[in-house]
Amino acid sequence: MAGKSGRTIAHVPEKSVKKTLLCWESMLVVLFIFINIFGQGISPNYQASNVLREMPRYLAEMFLMLPMAYLLVMGEIDISVGATVCLSATVACMVCNTGVPFIVVVFTALAVGTACGLLNGIILTKFTELPPMIVTLGTQIVFRGIAEITLGSGGSVSLQHTEGFRAISGRVGGLVPYVFFVLVIFAVIFTVVLAKTTFGRSMYAIGTNRQAAYYSGVPVQKYRLIVYTVMGTMAGLCALFLTAYLYGANTTTGKPLVIKKGVFTAEEKGSRRPMSFHEPLPL
Amino acid sequence: MSEYILELKGITKIFPGVKALNNVSFQLKKGEVHALMGENGAGKSTFIKVITGVHKAEEGEMFLNGEKVDFKGPKDAQAAGIAAVYQHPTSYPDLSVAENIFMGHEIKKNGIMQWKQMNEEADKLLAQLDADFKSTAEMGTLSVAQQQMVEIAKALSTNARIIILDEPTAALTNNESEKLYRIVDKLREEEVSIIFISHRFEDMYRLATRVTVFRDSQYIGTYDVDGITNADLIKAMVGREIKDLFPKPEVQIGAELLKIEGLSRTGFYKDVTFSVHAGEIVGLTGLVGAGRTEVVESVCGITRANAGKVLLEGKEIHVKKPADAMNLGIILLPEDRQRTGLILSWGLGRNVTLPTMGKYARMGFTDDKKEREVSKDLLESVDTKAVTIFDPASSLSGGNQQKVVVAKALGQKMKVVIMDEPTKGVDVGAKAEIYQIMGDLAKQGYGIILISSEMPEILGMSDRVVVMCNGKVTGELKRGEATQEKILELAMEKSKREEEGR
Amino acid sequence: MKEKKSIIKMLTGSREASLVIVLIVLCALVSLRSPSFLSLQSIADMLMNNTIIMIMALGMLCVLLIGGIDISIASTLGFTGMTVGMLLKYHVVENTFLLFLIAIGMGTLCGALVGLAISRGKVAPIIATMGFMYIFRGLAYMVSNSEWAGADALGSFKDFAQIKVAGFSIVVWIMVFCYILFFIVMKWTKFGRTIYAVGSNREAAQISGINVANVELRVYAVMGALAGLCGALSVSIYASAQPNMQYAKEMDVIAACVIGGVSMSGGRGSVGGALLGALVLAVIAKALPLVGIDALAQNTVKGIIILAVIILNVITQRMMNKQNLERREL
Repeated sequence: MAGKSGRTIAHVPEKSVKKTLLCWESMLVVLFIFINIFGQGISPNYQASNVLREMPRYLAEMFLMLPMAYLLVMGEIDISVGATVCLSATVACMVCNTGVPFIVVVFTALAVGTACGLLNGIILTKFTELPPMIVTLGTQIVFRGIAEITLGSGGSVSLQHTEGFRAISGRVGGLVPYVFFVLVIFAVIFTVVLAKTTFGRSMYAIGTNRQAAYYSGVPVQKYRLIVYTVMGTMAGLCALFLTAYLYGANTTTGKPLVIKKGVFTAEEKGSRRPMSFHEPLPL
Repeated sequence: MSEYILELKGITKIFPGVKALNNVSFQLKKGEVHALMGENGAGKSTFIKVITGVHKAEEGEMFLNGEKVDFKGPKDAQAAGIAAVYQHPTSYPDLSVAENIFMGHEIKKNGIMQWKQMNEEADKLLAQLDADFKSTAEMGTLSVAQQQMVEIAKALSTNARIIILDEPTAALTNNESEKLYRIVDKLREEEVSIIFISHRFEDMYRLATRVTVFRDSQYIGTYDVDGITNADLIKAMVGREIKDLFPKPEVQIGAELLKIEGLSRTGFYKDVTFSVHAGEIVGLTGLVGAGRTEVVESVCGITRANAGKVLLEGKEIHVKKPADAMNLGIILLPEDRQRTGLILSWGLGRNVTLPTMGKYARMGFTDDKKEREVSKDLLESVDTKAVTIFDPASSLSGGNQQKVVVAKALGQKMKVVIMDEPTKGVDVGAKAEIYQIMGDLAKQGYGIILISSEMPEILGMSDRVVVMCNGKVTGELKRGEATQEKILELAMEKSKREEEGR
Repeated sequence: MKEKKSIIKMLTGSREASLVIVLIVLCALVSLRSPSFLSLQSIADMLMNNTIIMIMALGMLCVLLIGGIDISIASTLGFTGMTVGMLLKYHVVENTFLLFLIAIGMGTLCGALVGLAISRGKVAPIIATMGFMYIFRGLAYMVSNSEWAGADALGSFKDFAQIKVAGFSIVVWIMVFCYILFFIVMKWTKFGRTIYAVGSNREAAQISGINVANVELRVYAVMGALAGLCGALSVSIYASAQPNMQYAKEMDVIAACVIGGVSMSGGRGSVGGALLGALVLAVIAKALPLVGIDALAQNTVKGIIILAVIILNVITQRMMNKQNLERREL
């Protein structure tokens, strides 16, 4: 069946260097460099090495931004991540203090996070009428509440067996923390999956027109469940590295993360790639 | 006093980059029903918006009762007695009918809303229109036809002397349209002047005395309805002759593809049975709300049926979601292109490959180059009027959007294609092209279910007509024996019987 | 028979009615365990402790109705409250009435800023208010200058909340007044109905000549004004002003609205619903210690109850839909 009027439709994309350079992501890279230069200019204390010392904490938090970008692209949100981090950190510390091998601790942290994410996902996919904001607000209170119960009246727990955590908080050459490399690996995976796979394309389809995506055969609810669960797993990973940095957990662990979810990523909804991936690029 | 209640001269409206209206003129007599026709994108809607003050024309003059007027906004037009009922009811679904009617000109005393008075007034207006609902009903719970009635009541509540109806019958079934016709007749008796836009010739013949045709943003002419033939009118609208509106090919009908057996879903349809053969076009018709769309939605896994079987090539299938249906070779092209058919902000290419992207991908990784080639071929095969495959779907006219929706189904080997109202809101030229594609698909051995409320389309294209009424199949007619009367009778059978029984 | 049917329909049909039932059941259960719960004193305390949330729920109702969201309100509250505290501490202004005016004025200004960013700047509400959340909280810290205002610094201002009229604190009466005012405005004035119109169908509102951007601006300004009022109130109620006061309370406010049946996508919700939603939260918070739930477990239980309420609501809604469908004749 050929075109009846012989009309042809162009199908080769225009490539423009200017367009690539002027995109939002490049702007952020420029901004990042600018802030660094500016910081160094006004204060001699602002040194790359200082930034590096403080880095593990921020890098750990960036694990959350990766799946959060997926959620935002889909037009969803997870307010409970901070609480999930708190709960997995708490449980991980408790388990660690019983003296089990470190690998068990790692799996516990990831499992707790995954379970939290899975719960969000199940509620949201079984009761599709509910807005994610409200459900995750509710689960946030619950997760943090459970952490509070676990921590007891003291409200905090300190690590007694720090070997494992010390191992993962090490630095290559005494400068670049391991967490950086782990993060880069994950950032690459998340970026590639979002930009280059059918799964990533489906994220955008769901975010732009959920109905049309569903009618076109995109398994919307399955994908939502997957992303919420991965969100939880990454929160568990974040908890692990945060604990390695803080040597313990308390009721406020992950508290500021409640809403800190990559301000930049949100604006990107439905357009191109998530923003956050450019932030770990400084070195 | 001039002969015309409304006269527009030399109207030109320019949007960035395009002339939406080019030196257009128009005259409306008092108490006249005047049809405004033309293909989609001919400038009718823009013209209406100029009259109602939503857009301001760059050039040209407008006279109301012989006096020159200059509207600064919709409020001015409203004050001058011009009201418009737009294509998609612009109502507030969460508010009551009375609130909808009086939105913008509420009855107030010292800044306090007088609900009682407004409800009474609204009920009076609704009674005038023979409405079967109350002023306190929630707008969102009403049918499209009822919502339209509210919009007309709203126009009347402003004491409008000129009422503009923009495609009022597009979403209505035949007997709902009939009701609308009666309302228009009533308004005409009250000396209200009416402009209406429609793609349906029945509307024009039934109501209008004169018809004005626009084409490509230009005024083509005004004709007396009695003095113009269908063919001439189409020629005026399209600019060329369309020889055969329904190019139904002769196809050897093959084996049975899809069989629906006793399918039921509580509250929507009951005990539905019919089948589709290879190369056959089955017209599924009935009034809107008869359960046609609901049946095919269950077949395609969008909703679940409670009872009954669906068989594909003799084997029972269990479809849980649209993806399952597509894997089996059944695809639904939904009625609402904007909401469920397309992702409007996406390029055409991506839209076309959305259902099949897994096929071109390797281990989940997309192959952009191949996808571009495939989508180019598919879009060309349905003759889409587009420049590149990167054009956003929103930039196309309704007819071309529908072609893109069809192209989505062609990316993989399908067995059954279900088209839900494929020509709704599509202009004559594009309609013929869509029928052409439909015929071609049948020739290739696809089984096609065509859901439509438009009688000529059903009669013109189907090999077999299945009529539904109130959730049940009330009859099946072969191509030779189907007539408009027979279909209507079947479509309304139940409700008639009910009335007699009471 | 017909009448009876309509009562059942009314009870199950409206969100408000089913919330009233939930509320009554909750109260009954709690008072069985702890009879003191329904005493005047206990209710007065409960209302006073929840005044802030209840008042802000009104503003949030309007914001949600137009399809927006505002998560900057707790920060606005902190900023205005801290300013009031500092003005008192340094004896700049000591007149209670004037202080309230200042707080409301500042709140309105903050809200208007948010509204401008959203209506004129076309920034998505969640993003805009997230930004302002940090800005206003930052301003609160700047105003505080690492100090805080305690009871001794607040003079007669802290006594304001202790004034009692007919057994209830004047603060509660202010809240009641706000509810009556909003009830009238939302139902019987053009502004109120316009809010519903914009939320219900923005495009249609534009066509019928409503200035949507202005409505948005005004709604966010109203939200700000209420947050400002609450800033002053909370300084008076808790007799202290700290820059981090009422931290993250915006989520409670949103939760109150949503439990009260206000739709997150706009157009649906009522003043009564917001009131009931806030009351349900208040009763839960008050009841948990009374029925002997350990202080540590209270958050968990609160969260579970919130989840249960919203899920239950969906389930009843589905059951109602199913019943309606079965009744449909085919």
